[in-house]
Amino acid sequence: MEAVIPTVVFYLFGLPITDTMISTWVMMGLIILVAFLIKKFKPTLGEMIVEMIYSIVSSVMPEDSDLSKYLPFLGTLAIFLVIGNIFSIFPMMVSPTANLNTTAALAILVFFAVHFYGIRDKGLIGYLKDFANPIFMLPMEIIGQISRTLSLAVRLFGNILSTDLIVAIVFSLIPFLVPLPLIALGMLTGILQAYIFIVLASLYVGSAIEVEAMEQERRQLKNEASRSV
Amino acid sequence: MWQLDSSTLITVITVLASSIGIVIGAIVPAVMEGIAVQKALDGITRQPEAANDLRTTLLISMALLESTAIYVLLVILVLLFANPLLERFF
Repeated sequence: MEAVIPTVVFYLFGLPITDTMISTWVMMGLIILVAFLIKKFKPTLGEMIVEMIYSIVSSVMPEDSDLSKYLPFLGTLAIFLVIGNIFSIFPMMVSPTANLNTTAALAILVFFAVHFYGIRDKGLIGYLKDFANPIFMLPMEIIGQISRTLSLAVRLFGNILSTDLIVAIVFSLIPFLVPLPLIALGMLTGILQAYIFIVLASLYVGSAIEVEAMEQERRQLKNEASRSV
Repeated sequence: MWQLDSSTLITVITVLASSIGIVIGAIVPAVMEGIAVQKALDGITRQPEAANDLRTTLLISMALLESTAIYVLLVILVLLFANPLLERFF
């Protein structure tokens, strides 16, 4: 029970502050500090990290799309998730993503970002026109939008929580050396889940902006056909 | 036979159902993921230059397959730690 529902540490102006929030604050401070240190002392390492994220995102986004518009959001998600998923290896800390509130917030961010990028790229009318191209697919499309947001949140939460729970159970049985391979497995799972979250998020963003290209192709084909006739 | 009061009965049935559920929910996605990996490895050995595309697709589909097992785990965690039936009836 204590592992599933986060414990309230103290109250700030009547608001309950849970251990998840404290871990997230510590993590934010750590990320900002390390980012400044990398920028100051080792800029090539920073370039390497950005290029790694770029190659992951560009492997699923549509070709010839300008990634610099979407990379700030997806890259921030990537850095937050990679560090957040393995953050329970630090003593006294819990993974922020082992709490359904965090992952639901991230999934809702992705949901709104997809529509925001779609509308920014195509305009409101064009995006709504492309949203469900044969109009009878509209209910399926709406169900798909809701269910993929839900599964994005629940998948990350369940994976991180289950590895943390396994480590906690083994730790309560044999607290010496035996949990180490399980912690390593948890880190592997966490990094893999961060990768999957980023790939799926960029896939969704890509599918929101991609239809334009297909539609353009179809219009071109139609023009050529009408010209040849 | 001794008489069980109903909250004990509900707890016992919940624990039994959770055990059976997690076993089924672990086996089926594991077998299906094994099939997916097998097919992907077949594809890679036949055509090694397609390995990068196959790896991305394999990871995404594995994540989607894995999420069903995670849903089972979540339902069972709710049943074990925050059982709604016990609060509703008693």
